[in-house]
Amino acid sequence: MAGSRLEKVGTIYTRVSGLIQSKALNWQDRPLWYDVYEAFPPNEEPRFDRPAPNIQLKKIFYKEDKIRAMFHRNNKRIGAINLLGHGKTLTQRFIDTYLELESRCGKDATEEQLYTEAIHILNREREDKRKPQSNEIETVSLSSSFKEAKKKREKELNVKVKSLF
Amino acid sequence: MLKYRNLFKISELCNAKTVRTLSTPAPETESTQNDIAQLPSQKEKSVLNHPDYFSVHNLFTVKDLFDAKVHYGHREGSFNERNLPYIYGSRLGHIIFDLDKTAEYLRKALNVAAHIAYRDGIIVFFYRGAQHSHLVETYAKECGEFAHTRFWRGGIFTNSEKQFGAVTRLPDLCIFFNTQNTILADHTAIRDTAKMSIATIGIVDSNCNPNLITYPVPGNDDSKSSIELYCKLFTGAILRGKEKRKEHLAESLEQ
Repeated sequence: MAGSRLEKVGTIYTRVSGLIQSKALNWQDRPLWYDVYEAFPPNEEPRFDRPAPNIQLKKIFYKEDKIRAMFHRNNKRIGAINLLGHGKTLTQRFIDTYLELESRCGKDATEEQLYTEAIHILNREREDKRKPQSNEIETVSLSSSFKEAKKKREKELNVKVKSLF
Repeated sequence: MLKYRNLFKISELCNAKTVRTLSTPAPETESTQNDIAQLPSQKEKSVLNHPDYFSVHNLFTVKDLFDAKVHYGHREGSFNERNLPYIYGSRLGHIIFDLDKTAEYLRKALNVAAHIAYRDGIIVFFYRGAQHSHLVETYAKECGEFAHTRFWRGGIFTNSEKQFGAVTRLPDLCIFFNTQNTILADHTAIRDTAKMSIATIGIVDSNCNPNLITYPVPGNDDSKSSIELYCKLFTGAILRGKEKRKEHLAESLEQ
């Protein structure tokens, strides 16, 4: 079976076509992918010596990166982030509130004013969240539910051992 | 685990004339034999004329790619500049892939995989990395193809007749879910497939070389979610190809 093992010369397609052209390989014995390759050639030729294109690697930056940088400069410890991606991160929430404030106030407010106001709003939100949560935790906690169950059981089993005998 | 010996279907039916080597289809003279079922060549050609016969384009959306974290590359320091056309940019030192490009290349690769499966080719999944090797092997089993996720002994392709002690049919398509071995060098099988003229599909991360891979797909090759997505897509495409083959074989037998 004829084959060319010079993988650095041309592509697999050109090598097999060359073998077919020079009749070293029968047309019937062509590889199974040959017709598929002809019908759907790859976007770039898979040559070993294909040079790297001359394109600049661009940096990705967004408008709100300024706000993000300001937030992180002033707050070094912002806690853990859930990588499963449920809900927005703290930084994202800060950016949202900041942008909302900015659009509401227009150009009257300075950066510092907007920053302190946004931080204030976030702190208030956090405190509001904490209050109802603390009640919830008490009602659902293990020890309280255990106590309740115990009380219930005592009510139901209102039988004294002494009275049985 | 799939054993090495299971990697290659050694054609048991065949006598010396019908042995298929070096990823060649069965010779056409064999179509008279009943035990090797073949599709009519006209049908095969008409299937190739359709731009997306197995409709693999609807297997995924760009949102799916994004959710599976396909857009994350490595850091800039390990960047391979041959990947520049597939890159969206660098976000604070991390390479980010252009998912529109990834989708285009992935659709092409899925289409090719489906066509090879339709033509009854042997497909092998490759992955080097202990974390996801079991995942890749189970998906390969699911679609009735083969996987190789362990240390690559040199010469499995290039010296197969000596290694297996018989004339061996090599695979027709190799799908690499990562193109590097564990020590940050290119997988030897990529060079070997090029030597034996076997078509390849490869997921190319930002630190990999796409040059020798026939159908490269730029994307993240490290996280579990992305590997699982690739596995699902390729098994889906292969199963579609096989299904169509069954249908067409049944039709040709009826006639």
